[in-house]
Amino acid sequence: MSLVAEAFVTQLAAAEPWPENAALYQQLKEEQILLSDNASSLAVQAFLQMCNLPIRVVCRANAEYMSPSGKVPFIHVGNQVVSELGPIVQFVKAKGHSLSDGLDEVQKAEMKAYMELVNNMLLTAELYLQWCDDVTVEEITHPRYGSPYPWPLNRILSYQKQWEVRRKMKAIGWAGKTLEQVLEDVDQCCQALSQRLGTQPYFFNKQPTELDALVFGHLFTILTTQLTTDELSEKVKNYSNLTAFCRRIEQQYFEGHDKDSATTVAARSAKRSLLR
Amino acid sequence: MAAPMELFCWAGGWGLPSVDPDCLAVLTYARFTGAPLKVHRVTSPWRSPSGRLPALKTQDEGTISKMQQIITHLRKQKYNADYDLSATQGADTLAFVSLLEEKLLPVLIHTFWVDAKNYVEHTRKWYTETIPFPLNFFLPNCMHKQHLERLQLMWGDSYMEDEEKLEKELYRDARECLTLLSQRLGSQKFFFGDSPASLDAFVFSRLAPLLKAKLPNGKLQQHLKSLQNLCNYCTSILSLYFPWDGGEPPASVPRAAGADGGDTEEDPHKRRNQLLSVLVGLAAMLGYAFLSGIVSIQRGGTGLAGRQPITLEEEEEEEEE
Repeated sequence: MSLVAEAFVTQLAAAEPWPENAALYQQLKEEQILLSDNASSLAVQAFLQMCNLPIRVVCRANAEYMSPSGKVPFIHVGNQVVSELGPIVQFVKAKGHSLSDGLDEVQKAEMKAYMELVNNMLLTAELYLQWCDDVTVEEITHPRYGSPYPWPLNRILSYQKQWEVRRKMKAIGWAGKTLEQVLEDVDQCCQALSQRLGTQPYFFNKQPTELDALVFGHLFTILTTQLTTDELSEKVKNYSNLTAFCRRIEQQYFEGHDKDSATTVAARSAKRSLLR
Repeated sequence: MAAPMELFCWAGGWGLPSVDPDCLAVLTYARFTGAPLKVHRVTSPWRSPSGRLPALKTQDEGTISKMQQIITHLRKQKYNADYDLSATQGADTLAFVSLLEEKLLPVLIHTFWVDAKNYVEHTRKWYTETIPFPLNFFLPNCMHKQHLERLQLMWGDSYMEDEEKLEKELYRDARECLTLLSQRLGSQKFFFGDSPASLDAFVFSRLAPLLKAKLPNGKLQQHLKSLQNLCNYCTSILSLYFPWDGGEPPASVPRAAGADGGDTEEDPHKRRNQLLSVLVGLAAMLGYAFLSGIVSIQRGGTGLAGRQPITLEEEEEEEEE
């Protein structure tokens, strides 16, 4: 889109208020969605909750193909479709809602840097675990990823996706890492986040920002997803302020809503299983 | 303390000790911590023990090839630039390094290696001139393809095909990243006070090539030059830690500051090669001359003497005219 057209569309977007029927699309929650996609989706939902914007979650088997960038989740607002947390934050900002307006320049720099840290380390570690670790791939990823489709399409799609993710891992240099090294990186990332959070309720003291939404999305999903081993969630549980942070956001923004949200209020100790 | 370790890295150019960002990061970190390294500035990856650059050859752990692993190894050997940092500062280091790697480094790679004008007129030219024969015919192209593939996998096809979108969004993010760095640095000497840390090594290694290279298509470069504190930061690190490297041309002027033994290895070979090629040329000409009979040596040297009367006759003819 040329610059003029894009400015025009942004104006249009800004002009319309947030509609009641905004929808967020993701894959099927019980059978199909994977760890990394669930985390991204939860992060967007948390962000929209924090902005007090109503959204309903729609589960479709082909959500990935519907998305304009190929990644989930994406939101359908009015006649616009926006995918991934970064562009969604900007889109919401154009509509006049922003969580990070109260931050000064240095804090904004830090917020962006920490968001990149989460994307760079946590998200990549999740992708590694589900697509490059053979045990997890066999037992969880392959059965789940193609589950809405008949054989042989389900196998073909999973192998295709696996090949694509492995190529990307090779390009960024993660292909040579062992599982222990990846878990070590996750631990480092959690340590950095824990130190940054300290004893504050949110990362930038009183008000939640998109960084809080992103961290919540990933950590909560890691804590509540049952994989072949518990090592990943153990790494997060080592940091008590992070688990307290997740609980706090869950209670504040997700409890008491009877819509189809990804967090279930039922006993926090019972892990929600994503195994088939 | 281990015996001195050997570091193999790309040669210097454009006023920098090394042109490759990863090699520069390792060099800078070593300078910051005072680690005793024997530096070999090589002009082709085939000279390094592991086939890739940068490479650190240690006594007990073999050869380490990735920048992060090299820095971790140096830390383990007690050369730790982050010793004085608080926990929050350590966390900030991780975060800013991630920001650089995600937002700035891919765009830098694009500027140097994929952008058509820059690649052809600047990067490829430098590498072709520096890498020795016969590698210089295919190695730069190989590196270009590698970088292109990496960017394609990271960004997806939609960005690679649509130049305008790429320029608008990704370069905008990179410019924003530079501005954020500038704001974070403020008016301090280094990112965490008065002594340099590993984050400074990272930031310097990404910014310095962008600042120093003379790129024909330099929009990102112009943005960096407009951020005065970052420019001062880079030049002060260069002058403080690499005083005799800055400003030297990449041509084969033998480096008089004898700390780098690796450079003088190149010259004798070059002279020898030149001499050899001249000798081979002469031998080929003489051999052809003898074989085809243009010149023949007869016993007693009359062949050579026989030529002279011919020339004398010619001169007489000329005089007559």
